[in-house]
Amino acid sequence: MTRGMRNYIGQRVLLIAFTVLIVSFVVFLGIHSLPGNTFVNERVRGAGLAALLHQYGLDRPVLVQYWDFISHAVQGNFGVSIVNRGEAITPIILRELSVSAELGGAALLITIGMGITFGVIAALRQNTWVDYSLTTFAIIGYSVPSFVIASVFVLVFGIWLFDVTGGTFYYPLSWDGTYGTLIELTIPAVALGLFTSSLVARITRASMLDVIHQDYVRTARAKGLKNRVVVVRHALRNALIPVTSVLGPLIISIITGSVVIENIFGIPGLGKEFIQSILSHDYNVTVAVFTMYALLVGVANLAVDLVYTVIDPRIRY
Amino acid sequence: MAVVAAPRSDQEFVSSTVVREQASLWRDGLRRLRRNRLALISAVYLILLGLVAIVALFWTPYPTSSIGVADIYSGPTSAHLLGADELGRDLLSRLMAGAQISLSVGLLSAAIVLGIGVVVGLTAGYFRGWVDSVISTVINIFYGIPALLVALLMVTVLGRSFTNVVIAISATVWMDVARLVRGQALSLREREFVEAARASGARTGKILFGHILPNALGPIIVAVTFVIPSAILFEAFLSYLGVGIPPPTPTWGAIASEGVQALRLAPHILLFPSIALSVTLLAFNFLGDGLRDAFDPRQKR
Repeated sequence: MTRGMRNYIGQRVLLIAFTVLIVSFVVFLGIHSLPGNTFVNERVRGAGLAALLHQYGLDRPVLVQYWDFISHAVQGNFGVSIVNRGEAITPIILRELSVSAELGGAALLITIGMGITFGVIAALRQNTWVDYSLTTFAIIGYSVPSFVIASVFVLVFGIWLFDVTGGTFYYPLSWDGTYGTLIELTIPAVALGLFTSSLVARITRASMLDVIHQDYVRTARAKGLKNRVVVVRHALRNALIPVTSVLGPLIISIITGSVVIENIFGIPGLGKEFIQSILSHDYNVTVAVFTMYALLVGVANLAVDLVYTVIDPRIRY
Repeated sequence: MAVVAAPRSDQEFVSSTVVREQASLWRDGLRRLRRNRLALISAVYLILLGLVAIVALFWTPYPTSSIGVADIYSGPTSAHLLGADELGRDLLSRLMAGAQISLSVGLLSAAIVLGIGVVVGLTAGYFRGWVDSVISTVINIFYGIPALLVALLMVTVLGRSFTNVVIAISATVWMDVARLVRGQALSLREREFVEAARASGARTGKILFGHILPNALGPIIVAVTFVIPSAILFEAFLSYLGVGIPPPTPTWGAIASEGVQALRLAPHILLFPSIALSVTLLAFNFLGDGLRDAFDPRQKR
């Protein structure tokens, strides 16, 4: 690792920390400026309410509360849930993060695998029916929202084909300590990855078409190299550079999509917790999850930029 | 406005043996757009959808929120073309009103994003220096957080209403247009015609909005076209998760989410709004692609 590289990473880490700090601050202030409080639904009034507010430190000035939150958060302690009285948030979030990571990782694999394969095939068979049907498929995948795809999947596989699937892709509604098996995972992951893989297919096709008409590819063919070698080792490697440039937005889109996918399929991940905490006014959890998201996106973007340097050695930091 | 000769493909050169009279960027673009069949079909569909939305303001087959006009969960019949929902409301009427919500969210957000993007982008690109650094950093911070989730939180904090949904969407998708305008301003400010304008003593506002902006208009329009479908998608997403425009307003996302709850009994409640939403997004994407090919020939896909 060069010195410039180390400086670059250092700068980026600082920027991530800065972003996370600002995001958590804004979200914290926003959430705590909401009228009413968590206990409104529980009809706690008077002295009981004051005691509860005091117990959770909610009667202090908001800036003091934020300082309390952030100084603990940097040590990895996100405080306690208000709705589930006193349950520590950090372990819950980490557990849910691992579930979301499983789903998101599978979706990312599908995105990259399916997207690049289809994009390359479409480019190699340009202007044939293969190309047209793959392109149409990609446009549809690009336009149909993930929640529609997911709901239709539930309809088809969960209801119409119930006899075949037995509803196996459904996680149990409450966490039972097991991760999804490969079969359980497939349908949610496809629903989540379809949008992004369409995007990847589109970009791969365009950049592949650019590349295969270049001279060095012709040279490689003229040397008598096998078609597979030319495509994979010469053309594809350069064609992938534009694809890596959208990896960051892709990951953000997978994280966003996982919120709705997890809610539809009942997967106990971060996204489900996020919506749950908003609907049940469990604001400590909301702030914690969102801070986690900001951190995740920052780290993912940094990782993507470092992958650049591997794929395209011309890029130096 | 400056006449920009758009690069033509080889084929066009061969086929046009006669030298065509010089066409403006706009006429040239419109000609190219007319040849794009998908974009044309999409434009026709969207115009029809717009008409439906306007009609829905004054008339729907049944009042959109009157319950029990049909049998609960009943499928499509001749009296209720798209069937009824869990309260026996007419689905066609609700979808028509939903079209109106979706289109107004899309167009309003696009207008706001256009405003923010042009002002912020021109400022950053033209004045450069620390102004640009600050604006670019803000843009990067916004790119670094998941927009939809921010919009979701904003609606929660501001309160669920049509206006707040539009505000939240605009506040989270303005960066693409701003960044594009900034880039255009950065490159256009070095061109001779801007130098000439500056030399002849034009005021900064005149240079920005009279010289730079008109010459960047093609790419800007294209970028703003793509804001519309993402705004519509955001709104549907929020409504679907139950944190968007509150009921009983019939939005496509909310109807689809009601449909999911009744999936076993009445899949049509999910399917019809989903189809409407998907086709509309598809049409906007096709139209955007067509506009890009027509008005922004320099930019490759």
